[in-house]
Amino acid sequence: MEGTLARRIRAGLPGYLLVAPAVAVTVVFFVVPMVVSGYWSLTQYNGIKPPTFVGLDNYIALLTDPRFLRIVQNTVFFVVMGMAIGPLLGLGSAVLLNESVRLRALFRTAFFLPTMVSLVAVATVWKMLYQDQGLINDLLGVFGLPGHAWLNDPTTALPAVVVTSIWQGFGFETVVFLAALQAIPRETYDAAKVDGAGAWAQFRHVTLPGLRATILFIYIIGIIGSFQAFDQIFVMTQGRPGISTRTVVYELVDEFQRLDLGSASAIAYLLLIVLAVLSFLQLRFFGERD
Amino acid sequence: MILRMRPVAVLIATAIVLAGCSGSVSPAPSGAASAVPSAAASAVPSVEGSAVPAESTVPTASLDTTPVTLTVWDYYGKEVTPFTPDAIAAFQNEYPWITVDRQDLDWESYLQKFNVAVSSGQGPDVATLDMTWIPTLASNDVLLDLKALSGGMLNGAPITDQYSKGPIEAMTYGDGYVTMMNDFDAYALYYRADLFEQKGIPVPKTWDELRAAAKKLAEDSNGDGKPDKYLYAVRPNTFHFSQFLFQNGGQLLNPEGTKATFNSDAGVGALDYQVGLIQDGSGLYWSDADGDLPPALVDGRVAMFSDGPYYMGLLKSGVPDQSGKWKIAIAPYSKQPGSYLGGTGLSIPAGSAHQQAAWLFIQYFLRPEQQIRVYTVTGAAPATTAALESPELTQPDPYFGGEAPFTVFLDTMATATHFPYVAAWSQVDTIISENLDAALLGKTDSRAALDEAAVAADAELAK
Repeated sequence: MEGTLARRIRAGLPGYLLVAPAVAVTVVFFVVPMVVSGYWSLTQYNGIKPPTFVGLDNYIALLTDPRFLRIVQNTVFFVVMGMAIGPLLGLGSAVLLNESVRLRALFRTAFFLPTMVSLVAVATVWKMLYQDQGLINDLLGVFGLPGHAWLNDPTTALPAVVVTSIWQGFGFETVVFLAALQAIPRETYDAAKVDGAGAWAQFRHVTLPGLRATILFIYIIGIIGSFQAFDQIFVMTQGRPGISTRTVVYELVDEFQRLDLGSASAIAYLLLIVLAVLSFLQLRFFGERD
Repeated sequence: MILRMRPVAVLIATAIVLAGCSGSVSPAPSGAASAVPSAAASAVPSVEGSAVPAESTVPTASLDTTPVTLTVWDYYGKEVTPFTPDAIAAFQNEYPWITVDRQDLDWESYLQKFNVAVSSGQGPDVATLDMTWIPTLASNDVLLDLKALSGGMLNGAPITDQYSKGPIEAMTYGDGYVTMMNDFDAYALYYRADLFEQKGIPVPKTWDELRAAAKKLAEDSNGDGKPDKYLYAVRPNTFHFSQFLFQNGGQLLNPEGTKATFNSDAGVGALDYQVGLIQDGSGLYWSDADGDLPPALVDGRVAMFSDGPYYMGLLKSGVPDQSGKWKIAIAPYSKQPGSYLGGTGLSIPAGSAHQQAAWLFIQYFLRPEQQIRVYTVTGAAPATTAALESPELTQPDPYFGGEAPFTVFLDTMATATHFPYVAAWSQVDTIISENLDAALLGKTDSRAALDEAAVAADAELAK
């Protein structure tokens, strides 16, 4: 038994040595801060005086605070709208591009270009577009329609930010779906055609099943990213008007800046739990079954 | 069981790592953003016993000339700091045993870095601090009592003789001074004097006169029946709301700092007044997210607003072709003159090992000739009376119609009030600002908005 263990360790030693730096970095820059942050979440701590242990008070305060629950509601809206529209746009563009379209590479680049631009830059430009005298209101004026204070109206501010995020991000989904579509064997479509399947039936019974893993990937990454929306909120609205565009991560950062480190850490852990559960559920119900 | 749990464990670990990614979600799928650390927040464990008694034990009667290196944290910015290399060299020349290590820090992240440094015993010896940070820092005994260190004297004269009432109150915490104000911020009325003259509008001195002036000033340039030019900028934040609140005889919190009083009749009246300006069509809602006003001044959307001395520099740089068209007046009021008082203070962290040298540095840069440089170099308004009354700051300014705007700000500072010194002030500030929107955007009435804010504020104050 010992000889086998020693042999296994010796055999694996080069591998362990190779991953050791990455493990060390992960431990120092992820695991340790996570553990410390977890402790802070159980304390009242402003970064100046030593933390005071308060148990689950921060979590209870957050989950019973109507203001925080509205912020969660904003975040859920952001995620649902973004993930309802974005992947659909991405898939639609990918399907179109998958046809023998001339200049496909050019269109692919054009769709992907916004994804390569910093979200801060994109948000800055869209903020200008949404202004009272911005291009969007100008275009509405051309059609005789009244302009609107898109970012200063609590009803339209968050949808306006969602539109910006979708515009910036759906190019990524387009490229990923396009690659996945091109990996579906042509023969599968031929066989479906032989069986009398029309375009919609082919899409339902060949394309979608072939994209299952890609769709799962897109939604896991997309939901995790959407729940952490911050940059565009910071640039475009700073969580205003009121708290209509304030998201969970924006609130987390704000609380850190206001030195409410215990509550901020509790928000971080609540987010972690939600994302872990959502990811687990997605993999459990939509993952590949062998 | 263990083998079946393995994929689950890997999944959860992956989710943890992905959730903890900082700015690394690239490319960004729809609705996603570059991530901010969530559970993996950068952490510096607190250091037990890092608190230092607030009162100094350094004798002021004699100078200790042991060579020291003084660390100075400065958020003014390398290009516009009054602590220029020349000025520091001159200070070091006068005090040859002191070497100054001036460090530039970005204002946005300054407070967090300051707290980490101070709580780990590695804070600076002198720090520029935003006056809105003072409540939190002072209430956590982070700042040295400068009254005890100085004996109440600054450059050979009583501190009380060198600042007006507002700054003295702002610098006071308990029985001592936690900072020495280097520059100040208090609001006066900026107005397009050329348009006032053209339309025969007198300079307003009361709220009623301001409202009438705003109505007469506003124009509908595109014929849609709604004024869209030459409006008064209504700013939905605590700084501007408190100006109207104080002018209407109200206060933000009770004297003990335990309960919100901004929802009093005075507060409701103040918010109603701002709502009224917007409803008249002569007020333009200008959110903090919209940034500074110059773009709206350039295209004429705004022709009147309230703000502090630093806006003089913004106007000169942002709207240079409107030189001579702007003037500044005392902000109109209903019951009494009033404004919030902010600015920059120079403080010594309680843990500094070089308190005497730090005080020498602060005194040096609060001399009148250095205070005048606060204006000439940074464009900000010096806080000491001597500088504000100096010929350099009271000479006519051609940009402002040949008038001397600092005389207005000197009067404004005398009646300005600092924000309450309670540990939860930044949370209360956020709550007030957020709830102003509901009333200003017509979603609810002023009383409901302020009452809701008061409930939330009281909960924070009770923590």
